[in-house]
Amino acid sequence: MSWAWDNRALLGHYLVQHLYLALLPVLFGIVVAIPVGVMCVRYRWTWPPVLSLTSIFYAMPSLALYLILIDYTGLTDWTVIIPLTLFSLSVLIPNVVDGLRSVPPPVRQAADAMGFGSLRRVVQVELPLAVPVIIAGMRVATVSSISLVSVGQLIGIGGLGYFFIDGVQRDFPTEIYTAFILIIVLALLADSILVLLRRWLTPWEAGRKVRPGSRILTATWPGSSAGGAP
Amino acid sequence: MITFERVTKRYPGGTVAVDDLNLEIPDGQTMVLVGPSGCGKTTTLRMINRLIDPSEGRILLDGRDVAQTKAAQLRRGIGYVIQQSGLFPHRTIEDNIATVPLLNGWPKARARNRARELMDLVGLEQAMAGRYPYQLSGGQQQRVGVARALAADPPVLLMDEPFSAVDPIVRASLQDELIRLQAELHKTVVLVTHDVEEAIKVGDQVAVFYPHGKIAQIDTPEHLLGSPADDYVENFLGFDRGIRRLGFFPATGLDLEIETVLSEDATIEQARQAAKRAGESWVLVTDEHRLPRGWAALAELETRDGQQTLRQLTLAPYGHTFRVGQDSLRAALDATILSPTGLAVGVDDQGTVVGITSYERLRTAIQTAEKTDDGQGARPS
Repeated sequence: MSWAWDNRALLGHYLVQHLYLALLPVLFGIVVAIPVGVMCVRYRWTWPPVLSLTSIFYAMPSLALYLILIDYTGLTDWTVIIPLTLFSLSVLIPNVVDGLRSVPPPVRQAADAMGFGSLRRVVQVELPLAVPVIIAGMRVATVSSISLVSVGQLIGIGGLGYFFIDGVQRDFPTEIYTAFILIIVLALLADSILVLLRRWLTPWEAGRKVRPGSRILTATWPGSSAGGAP
Repeated sequence: MITFERVTKRYPGGTVAVDDLNLEIPDGQTMVLVGPSGCGKTTTLRMINRLIDPSEGRILLDGRDVAQTKAAQLRRGIGYVIQQSGLFPHRTIEDNIATVPLLNGWPKARARNRARELMDLVGLEQAMAGRYPYQLSGGQQQRVGVARALAADPPVLLMDEPFSAVDPIVRASLQDELIRLQAELHKTVVLVTHDVEEAIKVGDQVAVFYPHGKIAQIDTPEHLLGSPADDYVENFLGFDRGIRRLGFFPATGLDLEIETVLSEDATIEQARQAAKRAGESWVLVTDEHRLPRGWAALAELETRDGQQTLRQLTLAPYGHTFRVGQDSLRAALDATILSPTGLAVGVDDQGTVVGITSYERLRTAIQTAEKTDDGQGARPS
């Protein structure tokens, strides 16, 4: 532990970089996934091709993608952020679609009958009700993203992953353990924050017995049956 | 006034949900569309606010084709109550009720005030305003659904099987509530149900649908029960329609016996005389406030000392009473059937005795009612 204390400045530097590299992709992901998800529910024919695309994003080996991207984005943060964004999309889009589809038909019908326009219905009724499922997806995407950032160290941009390579090269396991534990703590912390965010955004769920998306397992994985393949 | 002009709804694949329908729904009345599932009643309802568009024909709302108004705009002017309430789970009760005023751009405070008014109107406690729908019972949710539909004070209210998802006791009270509201608000109500009892209870007019999108008969509930157009309608109405129809004749039409009603301070001799004069074998004994106490049999009166008062007698229970000013002949008949003496006690709103009815008197009243029946369904209030 004295090593960690002595190197706190270095650890801090990579910790911040790690967070930045991990969370920005999830943020980009959600900004893209919501309109895409809305489109897939609204225009049903767009869903099968989008679903296939997300499965491809999920299947792509990240290391290979880094190497390919280096030609275009060089050794910048984008080389890590872009693959991770694609990866988070593969989790987030199916969850947005599932969340929107989980809105009970009578509620959607009532919204129509009350005179909501279709955009208003999405924004004021369907998206708020999809929040639990969407956040469940964000939890999976965030935790995966935090864990995956370290792979970027193979091209020299990997946040706390720096200490894995450095620890191996210097045959110094303390370094590896410390970074390992920090990454897990970060993941748990980020997950807890998302749980709190869900509670804050969905006060109407507080006393209900069945809480959609309350457990990480309910998140939709690409290619799973819950993905709503046509 | 809502008018259907030769309206047909055909689905891709050839299913005809509604077949060449002509229908007029007058202002301020409750029109019930009733029929088996798949008969097109719900499709008919949903074409009024354009949740479904007709394949042929047109629907006029106060003379104007509904297709000419933008759907969202049209719908904000027409209340809609959906089965299982369809409340927004993420909005509080008051915000659910305020939905349409908010869509119409009212300031939040004004919309919420309006919501509070409506909670009073439909019998919801103000304490519920801040709760979420899942915290309410099915019956309360349905009341919120009605309040939400009425929030913008639309002249027309569409109700799609509004009470089918609640238990029978709650359903009956919601139906009573609708009748009460309607007496106060005079909306043009179109209600869809598969429950013929509900149709007869809440409808001013009832349209019975054949199974495939045509109307078999449109009539007042009373006329429907009295003269069904064909075997289909008769079967659909179910048995004992003759007795159910009596529900539309007020008990005020009864000529009640008053001679055999005696205070308990009267003597046994007086009671014997009264019974013989009236040709009855029972007299009704009341207390000094004319509240019923029970029946005394003539047979027993004969065995007693004539100078005693009726107070000394053991009386048979007077059973169910009917309220003369409010109940129907059906209630009077029911009370008569249930009475051990074959006689039933008619009371006023305070519970004091107005008179006694018998099968014979009921028969006369029913015959008179049938003869003077104007078909307007003179409903006991």
